[in-house]
Amino acid sequence: MIQSTSLLESWTQENNQLASGCKLQDGQNEPNREHNLFRQRRWSSDFHRLLRKIQGIPPHLDRAQLELSVVYNTCVCFTAQSQFDEAELLLTQTAQRLLQIAGDDPGTSDPSVLWRTALKSVTGTALHRRVLSLLCLQWGVWLAKSRLTAVQDFQEEVSLLEAQSGAVWNDCRAETKEKISNIPILVLDPRRLVDLLKICTAIVQGAERLTEGWSVLSALQAASASPAPRALIAYTHLLSGSCLAHMNRPQMALQCYRKALETDPRCVCALYQSALIYSRLENSQAEIQALRILHSMLLLPSTTEPAMAADRLLSPSLFLCSQSLSSLLSVPSALSVLHSLALKCVIHSRVSEGVECYLDLLAALQSEDQHGVHAAVSTLPKLPRLYLEAGAALLMARRPADCMALCDEVIGSTLDLLPEKVLLEDPVARRVAGSGEVTEEAENGLVRLLWTAAAYLLQGHCYSQLKDWKQAVTHYTRCINLLVKVHYKDTGFSLQMPCADKDAEQGVDLCVLQRLKGLSLAGRGISFAQIDRLREALRDLQLSRQAHPEGVSARRWYGEVLWRLDRKQEAAACWEQTWSNPIPSLSEALPVYAQELQSGPLLDSAELRQKLQELGPT
Amino acid sequence: MMEGRCAAESWAEFGLLGKSGSSLVKCGTGTDVFICTGGEEVYVFTAQEKTLRAVLQMPAAVRDVVVSHDEQLLFVACWSGVYCVNVQLLVPSFSHDAGSGPTELKISTECLVAVADRVSSLLVVGSVLLTLCRTDASWSLTLYQIQRTSQSDPCDLLASFSLPLVSPKVQSDTESRCVLVCVYPGDLMPASSPPHPPRSHYPLQPLLFRRLFGAEAALSKSPVVLCGLPDGRLSFLPLRIPGSRLRILHSLEQSVVFVGASAVMETDAGCAGCLIALGKQGRAVLIRAGRAGLEGGGGTRFTLGCVPGPVECACMDQSRVYYSTGSDLLMVDLWDGSSGTAGRQGDKEDEASRSNPAAFLTPISLNVSGVVALHQPARSSAGEVQLLSLSVRGRLQSIRLPVRTQEDSLSKGPSSQVGRSVGDILSAIGDICERASVLKTIIRSKNQILKQLNQVVNISFLLSNRSESDLKPVRCRGSVRWSRLLQRDSLNLTCVLENLSPFVLERGWTLSVTVLPLSCPLEAGGEASSVNYSFPFSGLGPGESVEVSLPVAAAGDASFPVTVTCSLLFSLWRFLGQEEATAPLDLQSACFSLPLNTLTVDWLHALRLSDPPAPARSSSSPADLLQGFISSRQLRCRGGQASRPEEYSARVRVSSELLRDALGLAPGSPRVSLLEWLLSEGCGGVKMERKGIKTDGSSSVICGSAPDNATVKLTAEEVNVEEKTKPLVIVEVQVKSSSVAAVCGLHHAVLRRIQTLLQKAGSSRMVPTTDLRLALQQAEEQRGQVWEASSVGVSSGQTPPLLLRVYQQLRDGPLLIL
Repeated sequence: MIQSTSLLESWTQENNQLASGCKLQDGQNEPNREHNLFRQRRWSSDFHRLLRKIQGIPPHLDRAQLELSVVYNTCVCFTAQSQFDEAELLLTQTAQRLLQIAGDDPGTSDPSVLWRTALKSVTGTALHRRVLSLLCLQWGVWLAKSRLTAVQDFQEEVSLLEAQSGAVWNDCRAETKEKISNIPILVLDPRRLVDLLKICTAIVQGAERLTEGWSVLSALQAASASPAPRALIAYTHLLSGSCLAHMNRPQMALQCYRKALETDPRCVCALYQSALIYSRLENSQAEIQALRILHSMLLLPSTTEPAMAADRLLSPSLFLCSQSLSSLLSVPSALSVLHSLALKCVIHSRVSEGVECYLDLLAALQSEDQHGVHAAVSTLPKLPRLYLEAGAALLMARRPADCMALCDEVIGSTLDLLPEKVLLEDPVARRVAGSGEVTEEAENGLVRLLWTAAAYLLQGHCYSQLKDWKQAVTHYTRCINLLVKVHYKDTGFSLQMPCADKDAEQGVDLCVLQRLKGLSLAGRGISFAQIDRLREALRDLQLSRQAHPEGVSARRWYGEVLWRLDRKQEAAACWEQTWSNPIPSLSEALPVYAQELQSGPLLDSAELRQKLQELGPT
Repeated sequence: MMEGRCAAESWAEFGLLGKSGSSLVKCGTGTDVFICTGGEEVYVFTAQEKTLRAVLQMPAAVRDVVVSHDEQLLFVACWSGVYCVNVQLLVPSFSHDAGSGPTELKISTECLVAVADRVSSLLVVGSVLLTLCRTDASWSLTLYQIQRTSQSDPCDLLASFSLPLVSPKVQSDTESRCVLVCVYPGDLMPASSPPHPPRSHYPLQPLLFRRLFGAEAALSKSPVVLCGLPDGRLSFLPLRIPGSRLRILHSLEQSVVFVGASAVMETDAGCAGCLIALGKQGRAVLIRAGRAGLEGGGGTRFTLGCVPGPVECACMDQSRVYYSTGSDLLMVDLWDGSSGTAGRQGDKEDEASRSNPAAFLTPISLNVSGVVALHQPARSSAGEVQLLSLSVRGRLQSIRLPVRTQEDSLSKGPSSQVGRSVGDILSAIGDICERASVLKTIIRSKNQILKQLNQVVNISFLLSNRSESDLKPVRCRGSVRWSRLLQRDSLNLTCVLENLSPFVLERGWTLSVTVLPLSCPLEAGGEASSVNYSFPFSGLGPGESVEVSLPVAAAGDASFPVTVTCSLLFSLWRFLGQEEATAPLDLQSACFSLPLNTLTVDWLHALRLSDPPAPARSSSSPADLLQGFISSRQLRCRGGQASRPEEYSARVRVSSELLRDALGLAPGSPRVSLLEWLLSEGCGGVKMERKGIKTDGSSSVICGSAPDNATVKLTAEEVNVEEKTKPLVIVEVQVKSSSVAAVCGLHHAVLRRIQTLLQKAGSSRMVPTTDLRLALQQAEEQRGQVWEASSVGVSSGQTPPLLLRVYQQLRDGPLLIL
């Protein structure tokens, strides 16, 4: 008996030393993440060693207080290192040992049954609050493992916990002050743990239900009023916003996102969601603005890490690892944001800004600095496509020399990888077979070929912008020569494939192929027309109209060439058609370079009308 | 043909290599070389002054070492993580004091910059530090950003890529290191890199680069990291492409030891036109750009070849690969200058080389043994190639290769050798000498083993070819004696192994003796409770003998007779010089086991004689007296009302005539000699050591005590009886004792001995052996029953009737042997 008490004392002392050391060191803000990691490892192993000593002897009521405290400390350390399985195992074992003291045997290892029985057995004793604090940790483990049903099952006990937390813990505090040496110290105040878990649970549950399509507004509103770190409050606002956005209330959603940003300026996902909403509202200027701010925020070093140091030992991010939450909170990398910003600028006729963004993007990709390149999921298009988009932007900004340099790079890196010819099967038959992987190499060949062809096309555009028509013809011809290398296996397959199924990658590629054909033939036709080789011009423009019937400038120039060839009636008929459909604005569905850029020589429509009127009376 | 001789110059000794880490030689800043010998130290050696400058003591065994591009930071990978050391710390600040010795630095966890488990390899590309680790299910390549501002800050994690293991079981070989190298397009010179590319960085021909890694990598001018894994996979990762992942370039199907690049043509201007990977067993793959094929990207050619393995380590310069097999250093010229470069000759030659890979890579021996780590070769302006190597004995060597010239230089060869310094040649001779002595030792030990094996096989044939009845030329004799140790009496058997064969039993043989009580119960597993003794002995020549002693039974133990089985063992692991504990095979299948003869120790052997008359007189020692007194008191007490303990007796009768004939005695008193013979003659190969047998008059009486401490009286009397109306003189041997067990056992023993006696004499006359055999069987049965009864215990009610029945059977037929 004497030995037992002295052991108890020495173990309590050991625990208190460890815990106070832990609290002390945790207070010092250590900049070194690795050192923190090491320290946490050491603490958990120290506590665990002590616990093994204590649990080496059969459980006894006298030692239960100490044992439960050490279990609590050990589990907090485990949880801090994301070792949830170890923590849960330890908790289950402890519950079983508790029941051994009480002489109960539930005959099951189901944690919820175990905990219920354990709680019942200690009701009214001094151990009650210790058991409650352990249950709290179990709650945290369930939350971290996204086992929300288990948390809900314990809703009753949890509410009990909340209700009692004030009184019981205050009581505990008073007692601690009385005889400080004999009470085992805890590394983390359980009340703070309860607060943290409450809001985290609200957030995770909200995210889960949101993805299931429930309305969770009220719960989230309630959670946003609770005392918690700013970052977590911001999350509740963010989730409310997402909920409203699902309910088709974009303006109210924007309000919520703004509140989230006001609460925690580092909540970049709110900014991103706002940009998405603006995009849906087709408010392009606001969208561009949001993307610009988002990009500059992502470049700040502090935002890349979720620095939620609400509680140093247990970070809230430990409990916020639910799948649906992380998909709601995910933000694309800075480079992806920069790319969409550049694209939006170019499409919404802010070309010079777009060019700057593209150049920044290319510079970032070329730089030695590797930050942000290796995002887990990259939404960036392939590099050659980026180069070509940038080239198209430069062309639109009337910087043909820069555009040509970029195109030269693309051509240099792809030209000797091009296949001799590309054989395409009927996409309908392929879809039935459902084998996308088999022809992957051929597709790569097609993709590379399209890159090179687009580069030649852009170079042709550049030369025509420079009014070097001979060079333009040469480059358009190179582009056409490449494009005719693509063959179709099925002769019955229509070349005039509409862009209807854009979702299929092959469909987009084919569409781009047809567009490029139409554009390059049109470009060559226009160039021929400029150097008065009208016959060739007429042929090319005719072919271009076949390949890409929607091409507006090709049709106008077709009329112009007919006019010059003195086939004025045909020309008039051709022009008549073009009035109805003006040159379409750029869209995001297709690469910019595969659309009409209005970079070449333009026909003044007023002049055309005048010509028509001249013709009219005759 | 050996072209010239290389000179090996020993620079420093680092002691034997450790096993836990990896052995490395890596170039550092300037002329510094970093050396790891498999332990926890990193040595910094200056090649210029040939002195050890600093020693870094790491917290764990070192796996890899790499220096940053600006040559300011040294990264050391241990099992638990990567440590960073500022190179400036290694330079002794207090000038070069003579005799100050190397700086010693203890590196603590303060310097830890990346925590990672099981780091296998390191690489620095620009400002990115790459680690390759093996996790339970995959290989993971992790990228860290090196902190430029403060060296002690941890590196920021940039990204991590993983490649699943092929099969966790196959890849148990965690010790072998992975290879990490970086290649970049040759038209790009990274601005931050030093003028000469660092080790593990190779500029590649742009065409080859594009074909291997695609347009995206070429467009982004991205450095590409190549990983050679122990499972033989060669995978690559372009560093600067968003969303890139680790992909497989080729599989060598054996552990990748080396990845390098070589310049094929002079026009390449410093770019390598060929990638080379070497496998552990000598498989090599050469990757070059070929003609563009029908499909894009198909224009790379993978040429497979092989070199004599195993490849311990390798390095290469422009066109030659140097590799060590552990016993020799070899040099392979990839593009033999005389026959035109393989790259230039077009496809025809390629086809030929592909069909005949042996001709494709023919190594030239450089005659340097025991190299475990090689450093990138340095070529002097004169064309001399210098290699730094670390030998298995921890010796840092500088190996200087002769100036290589064209074919026509062969005639000039001797003249160029004249100028070579004597020291170079001497050291080369020394190196060859060392190699020769290693080989000689191996051959000698092999011969020794063969000789020994021959002897063992001879002996095995000799002993196993004879049938059981033959006397084996190697056999055991035994003798028993009671001895007293620590107040306990025990019966000791002295076993003498005699070698009567013409062969020597050499060191390595073991005499194995198994003692098995015949009448003990079978244990649960069906195995008798035998005791096994092993006596290794060192060499037993022809005619020699060796004596071993072992306890057979203790006093009070009545489980006689005891069978002693002798056999000779020889373990094959003796040849291999391995410990038996670590032997991978089980012991049974790995040894020769030759059974020798079997000895039997029975009740008569175990009989302790005492003087027949009053025991009080024979006062040899006070302790014995006391013992006698106590036992007599006990008897009286136990007996209760009876003044004398019960006596049991059994008789065996043998015709005197028969005895006389068998013992070869003169007509006289056969009874005395019978008793003497019974007690002295070695029966069952075991003799007794006794002082003498006291008899009195015509009826000789022998008193003694059985092993279960019961007093026993043996008498032999000549009696006249009438058998089938014929008067006969017979000798009657009577066994009397207070213990049934003793009576039974002794009766059995006497019968057995008489059986052997008569069998010996059986050649001369008809002997009724069948009767005897029957009687013997019966006696054995009875003995077994008695033993059973006594072991079951007196408490059981069946015991007394059983004993009575046995005793009656004993009394019934005093067997008469004519």
